[in-house]
Amino acid sequence: MTVKVLGISGSPHRHGNTETLLDSFLDGAREAGAVVDKIVISEINFTTCRGCNACHKTGDCVLKDDFLDIFAKIEQADCLVIASPIYSMGITAELKSLIDRAQYLWARKFVVKNLSYSPGHMHRHKGFFLSTAGLPLKDVFDYALPTIRAFFNGVGFEYSGNIVFNNMDEVGGIKKHSTALRTTRQKGGEVVRELEKILAGT
Amino acid sequence: MLKKAFFKTIFFRLDARSEVMPIRVLAFAGSPRRGGNSETLLDWVLAAMGSSDDVAIEKIALSDANINPCHGCNACEKLNRCVQNDGFTAIQEKILAADCIIISAPIFCMGINAQTKALIDRAQVFRSRKYVLKLPIVPPERKGKRLGIFLASAGQNWPHVFDAARPSVKCFFHVIEVRDDDISYLMINNVDEKGAILAHPTAKADAEALAGKTLAELRKRLAA
Repeated sequence: MTVKVLGISGSPHRHGNTETLLDSFLDGAREAGAVVDKIVISEINFTTCRGCNACHKTGDCVLKDDFLDIFAKIEQADCLVIASPIYSMGITAELKSLIDRAQYLWARKFVVKNLSYSPGHMHRHKGFFLSTAGLPLKDVFDYALPTIRAFFNGVGFEYSGNIVFNNMDEVGGIKKHSTALRTTRQKGGEVVRELEKILAGT
Repeated sequence: MLKKAFFKTIFFRLDARSEVMPIRVLAFAGSPRRGGNSETLLDWVLAAMGSSDDVAIEKIALSDANINPCHGCNACEKLNRCVQNDGFTAIQEKILAADCIIISAPIFCMGINAQTKALIDRAQVFRSRKYVLKLPIVPPERKGKRLGIFLASAGQNWPHVFDAARPSVKCFFHVIEVRDDDISYLMINNVDEKGAILAHPTAKADAEALAGKTLAELRKRLAA
């Protein structure tokens, strides 16, 4: 069974540190036999959540744009990799826009109550957060994580790990980091092999 | 229809009623839901501030302010300006002119909502000015005379629901020359449906007290 890996880049900066890191993960996954797809949020048409709470009644979002296609792809994926640089101690507005729009899934789970994910479903769906930050601060990624956790819970992926590298300003970019791209590529392959085993057993 | 609503409710300006330089308050309603809980909190603060003669208030709703996300191009590190020409262009001058800057925002998915994050990220132009180009953000005599307020609401009742938003808010105020100690926070959790904050036992009184305290402090500092 072919593992499907979806990478979503929330960086507005094409082929910068974060997207390069994501590409390494996806390369590793592809080499391990996965079908890989990548979406760059800054390249698509989307609007932000209106906070109208219409989804609390219907379970559906009233906004119809490219985010619908992304959510459809997320539903098909076995591994979801969310990537964003850290801007002002948080994820980018683009990625936050996608995450805010997942409110309809939260509504389905907790208000409309027509959606739930079994422990088996969560185990078969692995979610990773990839990020880079210019600053060397140790806690520079910490404030992004609660949002990422909430998102993975919403879309039904087990939050399986973070691949994050800080201090990019001093290092001079992810390509100059001694291990980042290699280990991330390896990780992409490992995850696919693990998912193959899990999916073969179900 | 939209245009009418825009002029009616989005921007309103209470012209200075005193002859002396008024205290300039710039307020952002960051929520996409107009008249919701975080904006109500803001309106309470602004109503209390507006009852003073020496205050000029401008309120901007981010849902209609046309502020794109930051491109991450870092051009501002060289140009000392943003290459994007959108709603933020006029707003950045207002940010620099204000004595008190207020952001109100809802917490969505454990973080500040996307529109407010776009505003915060666009303040990168000030970060570049301050730390890369090493130019002043405000004239030296205005340093320490600018106060910030962050107002937030969250549907979740968890006490830690605001924790992840705070560092981004601090970044914003930091680069626009509002000191950490000069930021006040009023964050109300467990209010989800529109209007829920109206039933909160202390939110309105807290908002009014914060308005009074902030104006008193500003008058003191501006007179110094």
